This record gives sequence, C-alpha cells and structure tokens, in this order.
Amino acid sequence: MLARTLVALADNLVADFDVVELLTLLTDRCVDVLDVTAAGLMLASPDGDLRVVASSSETARVLELFEVQANEGPCVDCFRSGEAIVNVDLEQVDGRWPLFGAKALEAGFHSVHAMPMRLRKQTIGALNLYRVHQGRMTDTDVVAAQALADVATIAILQHRTVRDAQLLNEQLSQALNTRIVIEQAKGVVAERADLDMEAAFARLRRHARNNNLRLADVAQSISTKTLLVTSLDP
Amino acid sequence: MSGERRLRIIGRLADGTGGGVGGTRLCDVCRDITRLTGAGVMLMSGDLPLGSLCTTDAVSAVIEDLQYTLGEGPCVDAHHLGRPVLEPDLADPAVLRWPAFSGMAVGSGVRAIFGFPMVVGGVRLGAVNFYADRPGRLTDDQHADALVMADVAAEAVLAMQVDGSEEVLADELERGSNFQYVVHQAAGMVSVQLDMSVGQALLRLRAYAFARQRPLAEVAVDVVARILRFADEDG
Repeated sequence: MLARTLVALADNLVADFDVVELLTLLTDRCVDVLDVTAAGLMLASPDGDLRVVASSSETARVLELFEVQANEGPCVDCFRSGEAIVNVDLEQVDGRWPLFGAKALEAGFHSVHAMPMRLRKQTIGALNLYRVHQGRMTDTDVVAAQALADVATIAILQHRTVRDAQLLNEQLSQALNTRIVIEQAKGVVAERADLDMEAAFARLRRHARNNNLRLADVAQSISTKTLLVTSLDP
Repeated sequence: MSGERRLRIIGRLADGTGGGVGGTRLCDVCRDITRLTGAGVMLMSGDLPLGSLCTTDAVSAVIEDLQYTLGEGPCVDAHHLGRPVLEPDLADPAVLRWPAFSGMAVGSGVRAIFGFPMVVGGVRLGAVNFYADRPGRLTDDQHADALVMADVAAEAVLAMQVDGSEEVLADELERGSNFQYVVHQAAGMVSVQLDMSVGQALLRLRAYAFARQRPLAEVAVDVVARILRFADEDG
C-alpha cells in the first residue's frame, strides 16, 4: 500500500506538476496508508510564515488555520526545529500548546504528530497527522510518514523549474495563491449547490479526479465561471 | 523571521504620510524596499490595461506607457503568466525578449526590469514593475521582498477600489485579510448571490464591512455561516 502510494506520488511528478495537487494527494494518502484520521500540510511563504496548503478534511483544515493564527502547535514547533514530533497525547499538552491542545480535543482528536518537510538544512514546511484515538503510532507508520513527507519535499525542491531560492519562492507563492483560488471555488460551489464547504471541496476534487484534471484548474474555471457548477460530476 | 518582510513593508507604507496609504506612497515603498531605481504599479483586467496606479519617476512612467501602447513587456507577461518575469539585462543582444519594448526602454535608461504579478486567488489585478538603470540580477533578498511587496500591493489595490477605504487599508494590511481563507469562500458565495465575478464580490464584501465598520473576516464568517446574504442587500 505504501509502495503504491509512493508510485502514485511519483506519477504526479510530470513536467508541470502542481504543488497543491501533489500535497493534497499526499494528505489523502496519509489517511489511507497510515493509522491516522486526518492530515494537514503547511508550507512556508516567501516571508517565512506558515500557510495551510493542503488538508484531508475540513476539520483538519480549520484546525491548521487555527494553529497558524495562534502560532502554537505541532506544525509550528516542527517547522521551527526541523525535527519530527511524534505521539503527543493531547490530553497532556496543557503547558505546551494551551490554545491548540484545547481546540484539537474539541475537534475530536486525541493525538498529533508532525513531520518536517526538510532536505538537508532547508525546512520548507511540515506535515501534521491527527488521530482520534489515543495510543502510539507504530514505528513503521512513523517511518512511512516521514518517507511520504520526504518524497513530496524532494519533488518540490528538485522540480525542474526550481533551480534556486528565487524560483522556490515563486513556486511556494504560486501554491499559496492556488489555495486561495480553491477557497473561492468552494464558495461558488457551496452557494450554487447549497452545500457546506467540506462537501463543496469534495465535489471539486471528485470532478478533477474523475476527469483527470488538476484540482487547481477546475477551481480556476469554477471561480471564473467558465465551468458551471451544474456541469460538475455529482 | 515570520512575516518580517511584510511588517517592514507595512511599516514603511504607514510612515511619512499624514494622509493614508495612497498610490504614490505604494510605488515609493516598492522602490525603497527593493533598493532599485524606480517602480510602478500597472492595473490590468483580462487583456485590457486599466491604467497606471502610480510611478516613482519619469522613466517608470515611460515603462508603463510603452507597455500599454505596445501591448508587450514584463508586466504584461507577468500578468498573463501569473508569475514573475525577470530581465536582468535588457540590452543583452542575445535576448530579444520584447522586440518593440526592449529597445525603447533601453533608450529611456532602463537596463534591468522585473515584473511581479498582483494576484488574489483567481483575481488578476495587474503587475508591479521594478527597474534598475544598470544591468544585474535581483538578489534572493530583493526577490523575496518583491514577491511580498506584490502581494501587499494587490491587497492595497483591491482595498483602494472601495470608497474611502484608505483609512481601513492599513488596518486590513495588518490583519492580512487576504490570507484568511474564509474571506475567499465568502467572495465565492457572494459572486453567485449577486451574479458577478469573484473580484467584484471581494470588493462588495469590503465595501459592506467598511460601511458597517466591521472586520472583513467577521463579515465573511457570517456569509459562510449563511447568516448574511447579499442577494437583496444593497451594502
């Protein structure tokens, strides 16, 4: 299963792969492959602050946004230190992340893990994994999670257009903008089809997958109204 | 440091002026922050140039005029491609990037030119151009500043399109409303409610928030929660 996921990720690394697409696939596959309930991923902007770029569910996304705003939590610590944070029991983190801990418990999660997206000295972001149940993540899962994060990191850093810091920054900046387009498209779909944001997002992704299109392109067409919500796969 | 470039830019936008954050100030900060010779902000909509928001000097003004007239140049390309367009030596005969623009720009004293797009999600607003009177690549630091500057400029341009918004602009830049995804979800919803583009919907949301002196993100949360609808709203 892990091998198949790595192949799927590698498969996405075609000439003009989209960073948001790749990372969304990564968060999805984390939930499939690892014993985790949800996953979220943050990348650093050219300005060095973390932005939420992908998440496997709306709950995870909201929690990640909160983490950035509160400026505390596993992703933030992991990004700063460049080290993995594993098996943190949320019932026992009061002192460490008072705001984030409470919020995550409220969302139904009981343990969190964060893997750095790091190559040598450069950390470009972090992957957050959430579990609804307590207990440790197996060592195999920890290794697999870091392997998935590594593949995505190398993909981004080795992308043919990323030859230096400037191009990396441009690509990250574009990824963050793609994320905004997706939010705009979610709003359009939510209003037109009377769905909540989670369902609207699912609809966009299903359409992209079924038709072999990039999520970023579907979102752009929806937000500019060149693709009608009624034409999306149900 | 997290958000340090952005804070430095906002700090500069805020000083030196008693009267809000106008277009001229925006261009001056573009030049100062990157330590280049001059800068200008070109507004575009689709393929149509809408005009120049500001230029720091006569050469910048020529750069914008040429691009409007000729329909080519770094800002035009940056706007269409949605990514920065960098030309460190415009006079290099090996590169004939813009057949009409290049020669005339060099004749006006431009040697290096850089266009950075102003985008807010799917909404493309134009581009910021930076120029230097000598050839040379941007340093990584200048490049990172220019990227953040173009983001701030995009937010400023959006906010300026709403009447009287200069007062709220500084506040809004500080809050980084454009990074609050809920604002964009709401803009998507309002664009359907009022049958307009997402860009227009963003303006409408801002105008509504401004008129009621409420933070934009708070209004957006109400829209997403379906407490507030814009369908028969005049705001």
